[in-house]
Amino acid sequence: MAAAAALLYAVPSHPQTDETPVNGIIPYRTVVTTLDNGLEIIVMPMPGDGLATFWSIVRTGSRDEYEPGRSGFAHFFEHMMFRGTERYPADVYQRILTELGADANAYTTDDLTAYHVSMTRADLERVMELESDRFKNLAYSEAGFKTEAGAVYGEYRKGKTDPLFVLYETMRSTAFERHTYGHTTMGFERDIIAMPTMYAYSRTFFARYYRPENTILFVAGDVDPAAVNALAEKYYGDWERGYVSPDVLAEPPQRNERRFDLGYDGKTLPLLWVAYKIDAFDPSNRVRVAADLLAELAFGSTSDAYQRLVLEEQVVEFLAADPNLNREPTLLDIYTRIKDPEQVDYVLAAIDATVAEYRDALVDADRLAALKSRLRYGFLMGLETPDQVAQQLARHIAISGGLEGIERLYAAYAGVTAEDVREAARAYFVPGERTIGVLRSAQ
Amino acid sequence: MKAHAAALVLSASLAACGDDPPPAPTQTEEASIVLLPVAEDPTVSFSVSFRVGSQNDPRGKAGLAYLTGQMLGDAATEANTYDAILEKLYPLAAWYGVRVDKEMTTLTGRTHRDNLDAYVPLLTDAYLRPAFRDDDFERIKNDTINYLMNTLRYASDEDLAKAALYERVFAGTGYAHPEEGTVAGLRAVTLDDVRAFYAEHYRRANALIALGGGFGTDLARRMQATLDDLAAGAPAAPPPLEVPPLAGRRVLLIDKPGADASISFGFPIDVHRGERDFYALWIANSWLGEHRNQSSHLFQVIREVRGLNYGDYSYIESFPDGGELSMPPVNVPRRRQIFEVWVRTLPNDQALFALRAAVRELERLVDGGLTREQFELTRTFLKKYSLHFADTTSMRLGYAVDDRFYGIEDEGHLERFRRMMDELTFDEVNAAIKKHLQYANLEIAIVTGDAAGLSAALATDAPSPITYASPQPQEILGEDVEIANFALGVPADQIETRPIAAVFEGP
Repeated sequence: MAAAAALLYAVPSHPQTDETPVNGIIPYRTVVTTLDNGLEIIVMPMPGDGLATFWSIVRTGSRDEYEPGRSGFAHFFEHMMFRGTERYPADVYQRILTELGADANAYTTDDLTAYHVSMTRADLERVMELESDRFKNLAYSEAGFKTEAGAVYGEYRKGKTDPLFVLYETMRSTAFERHTYGHTTMGFERDIIAMPTMYAYSRTFFARYYRPENTILFVAGDVDPAAVNALAEKYYGDWERGYVSPDVLAEPPQRNERRFDLGYDGKTLPLLWVAYKIDAFDPSNRVRVAADLLAELAFGSTSDAYQRLVLEEQVVEFLAADPNLNREPTLLDIYTRIKDPEQVDYVLAAIDATVAEYRDALVDADRLAALKSRLRYGFLMGLETPDQVAQQLARHIAISGGLEGIERLYAAYAGVTAEDVREAARAYFVPGERTIGVLRSAQ
Repeated sequence: MKAHAAALVLSASLAACGDDPPPAPTQTEEASIVLLPVAEDPTVSFSVSFRVGSQNDPRGKAGLAYLTGQMLGDAATEANTYDAILEKLYPLAAWYGVRVDKEMTTLTGRTHRDNLDAYVPLLTDAYLRPAFRDDDFERIKNDTINYLMNTLRYASDEDLAKAALYERVFAGTGYAHPEEGTVAGLRAVTLDDVRAFYAEHYRRANALIALGGGFGTDLARRMQATLDDLAAGAPAAPPPLEVPPLAGRRVLLIDKPGADASISFGFPIDVHRGERDFYALWIANSWLGEHRNQSSHLFQVIREVRGLNYGDYSYIESFPDGGELSMPPVNVPRRRQIFEVWVRTLPNDQALFALRAAVRELERLVDGGLTREQFELTRTFLKKYSLHFADTTSMRLGYAVDDRFYGIEDEGHLERFRRMMDELTFDEVNAAIKKHLQYANLEIAIVTGDAAGLSAALATDAPSPITYASPQPQEILGEDVEIANFALGVPADQIETRPIAAVFEGP
């Protein structure tokens, strides 16, 4: 294995490198390089107390699980990535990370899977060697595969004790009829139970998606870009292309409001969830960018709705709105927990009134300015450590394929007008394109 | 680099970072302020802590400390209604909030340094001039009761098992009930109780202010001066904490229909941050069950090899929010800790097997100690891994505050931790295991949907074999037989079943 890698390393290559100075929202310079095999490497030198963080961002998540019966597979596969290679079996891989005192983990979402290792600067090469090996040469037994399926079912069991998750799961499957956003990243329970039988498929999954042109490396902290790029070439230069894009079905337009009522086995206050269809995230889509501000203005902690429902009347415990940042058309979620089961309709009417108000009226200029300030400071305050920077940027990197998207987004936020916010409300708060879900104790 | 600078100034006076000398410390001999300047940090982190916590809840009013803390962090001040506070913090993206733990209540916050002028009065008003309004009190009290009655009982089985373990180990002490209180206790608390509790405990002599990040001398002086606005007078001594000795093994089954099994077990230990033995025990515990880490031996045995659940860990210090945090939390210092094993949710029919596997591994550690190789690997791991414990200014600030609690501010916990990883010997670690860990006396708490079945199985100590979806190596199957037949030895009269609706009901 080592010899093969060395031979390929000798093949001349011509990576392209672009350096971005500090002139936007991100207060650190970045160096972006693309290897011949399509692998992109983003390096961001920043103070790190001798630490660095190394992220492998795969642009595959539960969105890519388009084949029936395969829901939850991206997440399951993330677990399998810790099951070793011929050169570094799982226990050896783990032992080395232990010796390095590294903080290593991974997570999967709808649009991406991220593997992150935080370690001392001196250990970066060792980590890149280890990580590249499993991305290129993952090998695990069928028995190990089946054992891991049990751990994944355990993760689902732990999650399903939360009624909000139970409601979220049904909201997804009701709002989407064809698109893969119809299942959560955990997957349908029936598919999780069947996972031990999918060993052969797991090899297909790896071969299709774990490819250089579908992966971005993000390295931040006390690092030298030139040295990182040389290591990337050394350890990843021979990683072969071969990405096969998934045949994700487009969701047909929703014509009518959908509504479901869900009984919950445990005891809970009622939960109400209202989800509107919105466009895919795109920093150059002015209306979609304005929707980020709309959700916060209409339902955030300084909104009239929040002040009335949470603080004055105290009919709900919390109120939240989230315009999901997704690669494909998705949902703007509004959800709340209601203190009195008799007041579900009352709260829904209050949400409707808020929605109607934003479709009709222009938002106050001072509130819009306050929100823009909040977005900027909120972003800047979340960049304290290399790992925080990576956490904050990973989704943007996965969706738009780099960091330009985040610079364009924050420039676009600054330009959003009250008219843009109203236009977003008119475009997305469409009654026939929403789904309403209510969860109540079955007892 | 930042870490070193911070450590150096930890014990320095205000004069060290400015031109004017600091005001004379008030009330206590030591300056009640901790400073961690980090010049390149564009933000400032704040911590204002008081030596008061849920252990100070009066009898029948469990939850009073929690409600009082939230009435500072999440409610109006004399100058501003709560909605006005939210509106003022909003454009700053700044925040503050209160954590109430058993011994300590901490108000923490953070802002970009551009916004200090707008932020600081809001923060200082929160602890100096709370309004204690009725509407805020109703909201916070209702939310807290709902948390106990709905969230803790019905939506977070793992946290429930952990809280139940604490209740058993610390029965009869101020540590027994959750920091949030009990349902009956919360219902009994009035706004006048909150006012009186604040007046009694939120005193100058009880307070510690800490500042970290990109602040200047003026701000440090201004923050220290706020201490003068707190009431003078001696604070109440902490209530006694006499932990009843355990006798044998006991089980509490929380009967929650429909639930899978979530298990926590442990026993009190009497070893603290700063003591050499504490760090020796940390090495042993890290090997056995490092939190959220695949290096955890329990994780290897129960999850990695057998796939029974999502993870299995052990602790020698309290670790709230373990489901969310990957590194140890700050501002939860305790006079007494427990050794604790956390077996994450798994099917009821595998619960007994997993419990046996975990107790068996504890027995093996206590009887056999670590091997030299395990010792070397673990201390090498911890020396570097501990660099991740406090990577932000606010975490470092939290450690500095906790160091004061433990009386180890001269050489703080993290600095000492790294030194100990170099100094401690193999023999010291194994001696600490023998001295502080044991397995004869265990409190075991299990949230389960099969309380009747588990109760019967525990009482008879019958074998609990498991099967797998895939073939396992002979070596594993052989060990499985030993685990399945491992005697837990819990006497039948030491198995208690409690219905979920009665948990943390009160008083």
